[in-house]
Amino acid sequence: MNTFLRKNMVMLVAVLIMAAFLIAAAQGMEKQDFVITLLRGLAVGSITFLVASGFSLIFGLLDVLNLAHGTLFMIGAYLGWTVVVRPDTFVDLLTPLALIVSGFALGDVYPLLANRIRLGLSLRRILPWALIFVSILLFGFILPRYPIAIWDVENYAQSPVTFAFMADSGARLPVQPAAFTEISMPLAVIGLLLASILGAFGISLFDNTPRTVRLSWKNFVSIAVALVVALLGLIFNDQLSSFFYGLNSNWLFFIAVLVATLSGVALGGLMEATLIRPLYSRPIYQLMLTLGMSAIGIEMVRAIWGRPEFVMPKPAFFNGSGEACPATNFADWWANHCSTILLFDGRVRVYNEIFIPLVGLVVLVSIWILLQRTRLGMIIRAGVQDSQMVEALGINVRRVFTMVFALGVGLAALGGVLGAPSTGLSNVMGESLLLNALIALAIGGLTSYPGAALGSVIVGMIQQFIIKYGQIGIAIPFTDIIFKPTPPLVPASTVLLMVIVLLILPNGLLGKKE
Amino acid sequence: MENILDVQNIHTFIGQYHILQGVNVRVPKGSIVALLGRNGAGKTTTLKSILGLTPPRQGKVIFNGQEVNGLRSFDIANMGIGFVPEHRAIFRDLSVEENLKIAERKKGDYLRKRDFIFDLFPDLKRLIALPGTSLSGGQQQMLAIARALVPDNQLLLIDEPSEGLAPVIIESMMAAIRELAKESTVILVEQNFLVASQLAEHYVIIEEGRSVQDGKMKDLAADKAAIHRFLGAA
Repeated sequence: MNTFLRKNMVMLVAVLIMAAFLIAAAQGMEKQDFVITLLRGLAVGSITFLVASGFSLIFGLLDVLNLAHGTLFMIGAYLGWTVVVRPDTFVDLLTPLALIVSGFALGDVYPLLANRIRLGLSLRRILPWALIFVSILLFGFILPRYPIAIWDVENYAQSPVTFAFMADSGARLPVQPAAFTEISMPLAVIGLLLASILGAFGISLFDNTPRTVRLSWKNFVSIAVALVVALLGLIFNDQLSSFFYGLNSNWLFFIAVLVATLSGVALGGLMEATLIRPLYSRPIYQLMLTLGMSAIGIEMVRAIWGRPEFVMPKPAFFNGSGEACPATNFADWWANHCSTILLFDGRVRVYNEIFIPLVGLVVLVSIWILLQRTRLGMIIRAGVQDSQMVEALGINVRRVFTMVFALGVGLAALGGVLGAPSTGLSNVMGESLLLNALIALAIGGLTSYPGAALGSVIVGMIQQFIIKYGQIGIAIPFTDIIFKPTPPLVPASTVLLMVIVLLILPNGLLGKKE
Repeated sequence: MENILDVQNIHTFIGQYHILQGVNVRVPKGSIVALLGRNGAGKTTTLKSILGLTPPRQGKVIFNGQEVNGLRSFDIANMGIGFVPEHRAIFRDLSVEENLKIAERKKGDYLRKRDFIFDLFPDLKRLIALPGTSLSGGQQQMLAIARALVPDNQLLLIDEPSEGLAPVIIESMMAAIRELAKESTVILVEQNFLVASQLAEHYVIIEEGRSVQDGKMKDLAADKAAIHRFLGAA
């Protein structure tokens, strides 16, 4: 018992202070206001946690401060929105994406090909660049001509805002299916496949480590899968689009969460393997790279989805209305799927204030189990301390790095798509959330997983309570003054708390001494 | 006797520093070979170069007849080389048992080797649930060696096993190394000549990044002048 107390002293003190803060906060407001604010704090904390935990995992193991993490969170939200509102765009993208992947799926075959090539030293040096150049030219020629049905950012009637508005009110804008008019289909398909193979071969030539590769059918499984997906996407394009349009909003939302998270995982893996990995010995360049990636990501989102803010429709499961709403208890809610439920006489939004914190909790526990109970988790915990020794044990640390980066970005994208129906989508959502996450990590401890959770909840709570007190005011004791915190105090309060925590505990509440 | 490892004229750079400038080490199968030399001579870098942690720019490292330079460290390790680094590198966030389990290459390695390891280091058995860092220096050294014994390694690279340990502990450490050398070949980096001379059958002296002398340990032990010249010990 004593050792438990000693080991978790800071955690206990933090929880006690938090409880004292909540009790004090509860004195000045109605019970229902308190409950709602508490739940909102948990909701903001949960989304912050999804970003912060991924950021902290990546920083802990790879020593990479991924400043693009907020942007990846935002991209998750926009991708999820696209699945829900324009599933046909995604169906159209399926074939070109599968074709681009297929070249890289041949990874193990390229070293064999490379061994066959007999070239002079200088030609050998030029060859990969030449291949990549041709590949980029081909992509540049084909991709803009490849037919993808998409909204029109310039035309308000066809803009994402209009699509979002219509979808939110349960209607769909009629959409035109895309057709091969600017380029012939066989040319587009073969060209993309060729571009992908040339590019992947070129990139593989940079790796000079001698490898013995034995070819077997297994080397061709992934390319076969990618090609089948590409062909199916091409042949059944219309059927797939109408199938997705026919799905109810719950299924679409579920698929959106899946697609956004998996896209985050893929983007993260790709980013680590191509951009981050060459710069492990140059951390400053890495930092600048992730900062640049963040700016590029934001501009890409602006170019594709436009600048105006819009919302992602909530799934019907959480969006019921009518006579029976708001629900008075959970059985009632289950029967009617009301968007709100009465808790302690306050109207609580089920999606925002109950569902999101629950998902946050599930992710918290799942990642905790991954870290503490699986071999991968053991390797991650060991690698955080000494990745070279882990490699010396015969473990491919580079692959684990890629997996952790992918997992971290996947968590951010999950946060983005989950937050989108409650906070809406905007070009700046990533930056403000990353700032929140960084403050949460500084408070909780930069590389501590429980610290990320604790810090995020603290940041969420404080912000929401200050927003609430901005509305109802705080009565200053022994005076008649009622103090109403202004909106700028919301971010300022968490920064102030961060400064205080760091002055007392430089490693954050639960961080370990470096 | 057949050589399990043949290091041929390797040159290794760390940053811009040319640390190894031609090191040759031949390790007969089943033997214990000590790398000797003063501080900073390049002994640790030689071990790390064999394992590819500091990959050599020139020269060859041949393990079991196969050239391994240029391969990634984990690939080299997986061929059957275990590494016990200087300062032990025990994972502090892992329990003693997890520190052993993480070294598994095949599922079940740990369960299979557990009894052998605990016979060799009985202390570890009762510490099994503790975090890696709550161990004393000697216990950490035992754990580091035990970790290298979990998979089936044919060659163990042990760096400074006696460093910072009390004489009594050194004795039991030496006994353990002798015991495990029955199963596999060992390359030992050791500052303490007394320890090295009692354990190893062969030696290689490294001086300023070059291997300058090698041979049978009993010949070196008799050559006081060489010991004094190369190692500064009497």
